[in-house]
Amino acid sequence: MISSIVRRDLILAFRSGGAWLHGLFFFGVFIALAAVSLGGSLNVMRPLAPAIIWLALIFSAQLSFPSIFQEDFQDGNLAQLKLAGFSLFPVVAAKAISFALLSIVPLLVAIPFASLVFDIRYDTTMGILTSILFAAPALVMYGVLSSAILSGRRGGGFLIVLMTAPFLIPLLIFGLAAVTAFPLKGITALEFRALIGLSLIAVAVGIPAAAGALNANLE
Amino acid sequence: MINYLANPVRFLKFSKIATPIFGLLSALVMVWGLYLALIKSPPAVEHGEAVRMMYVHVPAAWCAMMAYTALTVASLVSFIWRHPLADSAACSFALPGAAFTFLALVTGSLWGKPAWGTWWQWDGRMTSVLILFFIYVGYLALWQIIPERKRAARLASIFAMVGFVNIPIIKFSVDWWNTLHQPATFSNVGAPGTAPEIAAPLFTMMAAYSLLFGWLALRGIEADIIRNRKSRDGKQPAAISVIETV
Repeated sequence: MISSIVRRDLILAFRSGGAWLHGLFFFGVFIALAAVSLGGSLNVMRPLAPAIIWLALIFSAQLSFPSIFQEDFQDGNLAQLKLAGFSLFPVVAAKAISFALLSIVPLLVAIPFASLVFDIRYDTTMGILTSILFAAPALVMYGVLSSAILSGRRGGGFLIVLMTAPFLIPLLIFGLAAVTAFPLKGITALEFRALIGLSLIAVAVGIPAAAGALNANLE
Repeated sequence: MINYLANPVRFLKFSKIATPIFGLLSALVMVWGLYLALIKSPPAVEHGEAVRMMYVHVPAAWCAMMAYTALTVASLVSFIWRHPLADSAACSFALPGAAFTFLALVTGSLWGKPAWGTWWQWDGRMTSVLILFFIYVGYLALWQIIPERKRAARLASIFAMVGFVNIPIIKFSVDWWNTLHQPATFSNVGAPGTAPEIAAPLFTMMAAYSLLFGWLALRGIEADIIRNRKSRDGKQPAAISVIETV
């Protein structure tokens, strides 16, 4: 069931004419704006680059959160799945996987190019990629949860940023600490364990909570 | 007791007596606590007169966390048993809780300037309390944006329960990140260093703040029950008239 929903989401996204790439363009625009506002000097930007890339990733993800359930809620897909007697847990898990594939993976691919324009070192780039990889489950789960809570409501854009921000702040703190720790200690640094812990908590809490929120919205 | 009060009519009867008691007690204890804190207690050795800020700062932070814990418990009850009174309780805890969190942040900032020489520092305790404030705002915004009351209660309770993750982080942040904010002073009462002339006003102020929170929460629940009843009463004639016209 999970794989069929994911396959369907991927097919729909690829046939939609590239709407799933908007997050990627936003990522690029944010980085360009940050570089312009900082004056474009590489010596100034190099120490700030991990923070800018992380911020661009988080904002891009936050802006794509509302779309996770919106379409399926409005055209009645979710209601049909619920009526057919399926548990919403695998639906939530499938939506999380397809969101990760469609919104987070393109950003991961873009990060090496972003680090190229900031001229940062190879091990720092690897640190950014690894920290984002470890934080991604939490990022995705909080997005799925907030989207489930606000599904079926228009104009939740600002609210979804406001609602997810408290949960993403710990990710930002430990993620950037992990980037600094990576060149020295590699993947064994304490911060990576903190990120894994945050991700595990988010998955454990997020799936049942998102299923509960969808149920409440479908009642 | 809780079972008895779970009925809105009985609750209103109880709160008619309890609310003024809470309000009066809170005012009395607050006056006494402020006298102890601002006039009677001695200035501290290291902090000087600025230590008096503690008597308004620590109780506010304590109430902010207590309010969120109460909010989570009410949300849990509301989520499991779908009890309307638990919804009223949960959304009435949120506004005072947000106010206390804001107060804790502001007083902490005012105290930070003389004690540490800075208005704000991004250390674990301050950041996690700021996150608590954002969670409160998000929770209140959820109630605002969803028009159907039952659905709003359900979704808000899910959000509140997920947000509870932050409370242990606030509690232990001073132990995990060894930074500017001092660790809990009264973790073991009676230990050397907790002088009674400092402990007495602090605990009095904590009691006063808690009573104030109780008063605000009871007032909020009362108002919510009555508002609910009014909106229900307002609806019934409309429904009947629709049937008649059809």
